[in-house]
Amino acid sequence: MRPLTLGRLFLRCGILAVILFVVVVIALKLGAVQVSLYGLGRDLIRVMLRQSSAISTDYGMIVLDIRLPRILLGIVVGASLSVAGTSFQALLRNPLADPYVLGVSSGAAVGAIMALIAENHLSLSPELAGLLTPLCAFVGAAVTIAAVYVLGRREGQIDSGTLLLGGIITASFLNAVIMFLLTVPAGGNLRGAVYWLMGDLSTIPDVKLLGFLFVGFLVAAGVIYTTASDLNLLLAGEKEAMHLGVDVPRVRIVVYIAASILTGLAVSVSGAIGYVGLLVPHVMRLIFGSDHRLLLPVSALGGAIALVIADTLARTVVAPSELPVGAMTAMAGAPLFIYLLRRRLT
Amino acid sequence: MPDSKFNFVPRALFFCASLLFLCTMQMAAQATSPGSPAPPVMREITDGYGRTVRVPLNPSRIVSLAPSLTETLYALGVEDRLVGDTDYCDYPPEAQKKPKVGGVINPNLEQIAALHPDLVLMTKEGNQLATVRSLDALGISSYATDAHTIDEIISSTQKLADVLSVSAAGKVLAEDLRRRLAVLQAKLSGVPPKRVLFIVWPEPLISIGKNTFIADALHRAGAVSIVDSSQDWPQVNLEEVARLQPEYLVFAPTHSESGADDFESLANRPGWRILDAVRNRHFASVSDAIVRPAPRIVSVIEDLARQLHPEVFPETPGPEKSTTPTDFPASSHPQPKPLALRFLTSPCSLESPCAR
Repeated sequence: MRPLTLGRLFLRCGILAVILFVVVVIALKLGAVQVSLYGLGRDLIRVMLRQSSAISTDYGMIVLDIRLPRILLGIVVGASLSVAGTSFQALLRNPLADPYVLGVSSGAAVGAIMALIAENHLSLSPELAGLLTPLCAFVGAAVTIAAVYVLGRREGQIDSGTLLLGGIITASFLNAVIMFLLTVPAGGNLRGAVYWLMGDLSTIPDVKLLGFLFVGFLVAAGVIYTTASDLNLLLAGEKEAMHLGVDVPRVRIVVYIAASILTGLAVSVSGAIGYVGLLVPHVMRLIFGSDHRLLLPVSALGGAIALVIADTLARTVVAPSELPVGAMTAMAGAPLFIYLLRRRLT
Repeated sequence: MPDSKFNFVPRALFFCASLLFLCTMQMAAQATSPGSPAPPVMREITDGYGRTVRVPLNPSRIVSLAPSLTETLYALGVEDRLVGDTDYCDYPPEAQKKPKVGGVINPNLEQIAALHPDLVLMTKEGNQLATVRSLDALGISSYATDAHTIDEIISSTQKLADVLSVSAAGKVLAEDLRRRLAVLQAKLSGVPPKRVLFIVWPEPLISIGKNTFIADALHRAGAVSIVDSSQDWPQVNLEEVARLQPEYLVFAPTHSESGADDFESLANRPGWRILDAVRNRHFASVSDAIVRPAPRIVSVIEDLARQLHPEVFPETPGPEKSTTPTDFPASSHPQPKPLALRFLTSPCSLESPCAR
């Protein structure tokens, strides 16, 4: 294998960024309402030239106010989930790990469902009500992260095996709490809660919220990236990494917290979208190898591409109705993964 | 990593990618203010969510996000202003021909925006608050109704008529509904209510709670639900049902013919023969309009009362003459076949023309 150079890194990321851009343009074009490619191009150029007043309200509303924020949300959620998945797979040294394995999504779900139940009884201003669910979901995620951290320690340090077991037990306990909340007090908002559990990008996100998510993603992913070389050495085994000079406990806690925060941010705005965080890291590893200095950025881009494609399918296949995006990610992702896996084995 | 490898092509690609990213962020930032030329005259009202909403004085392009509201619009005679409804809006049959905007929980916002509505109608019970927020973000007015009793269904219909500036039609409709309920109440006074089990779903057995308008509808029809739960859709234990022994089982099948089929399949399930109502074939089957908070529910109440208390209703006359178009002759639907098993159903069911 050739050594990784900055040029090779940027070339691969650049190719994926171009693919992402093409996917975004296609996603902007497709939807329940027909938009011509010519009109779309003309309007995009107008927006870039800051002549947005020249755009017809119809286009402006459907393409810029509905589709674009949703696509941007898909990009940040997809990137967050697959970076978190890559990190957890390396941290736990378990190919089955995904962002939800340690219970973060279940904790977020408990918070979100409680918010969905409470918001019917509270009369909040619309801006506040819009933030209540993501806020409660993130609080739920944060509490779970802390609880699993306490459970996962052994002799004062995080231990991968204990962390994994602690996380799985916490997740199953929280899932039982979710079942209770759904059967007993959810009442009229039950269907909303179920949609949340399946993962949903259809609510138009606030511009400020989107900006916050992008900043949060860049910070947390940046922190994980600083440990990329250490994660490579961890692949050889924890003892070996320690002998090679890796501060294993520090790497574990940094990666655990940053990846959990990434998951919490993504889950709090979109619900538990499955499979992106599991499949994309594996696909990227099969294509680009398992050097985390390359794997982390290409996973981010790959996750964004995968989720934007899945969401575009979800909103166009049965238009004007919609499918849950989580179903699309699994349906489209699993065959691709099997293909790559078999090709590698032969 | 050696700097010499840092050549031009990847650097340019990276630069382009970041530029595009910044552009899209810029577009998102600009995308918040949809321009609306010549704003129509607006007024402020309080809706079912308890929020103050601004709606146009005389809305002319309405999208309905609930089957019950679609029905109500037809009952108020303003169907020509309805420009879109959901996949589930199937009554009256003409409502199926309106442009569709997707489901009730997950309507397609693009489709709604493309119809240029000046008012979107929804129910607090059926629709999601997230939809309200998305519509707010798009600057589309929305108005939600919220009804938990039959009285509230009638008053919210009247209020909706006021919002749509058809107060006269709303008043006539509401008065007719109230009069028919009063007539029914007079007939049923002194008759002991039948103890019934309303079956929403047989396996697992789901019934209705006491705070739903369905419980109120049963009450108005001279029945009382044996399930006394504060949950809206409680799951009920068959043992508990056996202990309480309902006199009648009430079904509300989606297709008018399958009430008897529902009963047969239930009677053949293990354990259900423990119920006297099953052994004596005591069941009533009403239109699924009973689960919709729309004016048609009064017809269902009359139908159910007739099935549960046939002794009170003389054989010949149909239901009280309706002076407003609450019910529609089901012209495009085939008549439900008279099933031998539906012996409890009176000759005038909701669907049949003698109801007119």
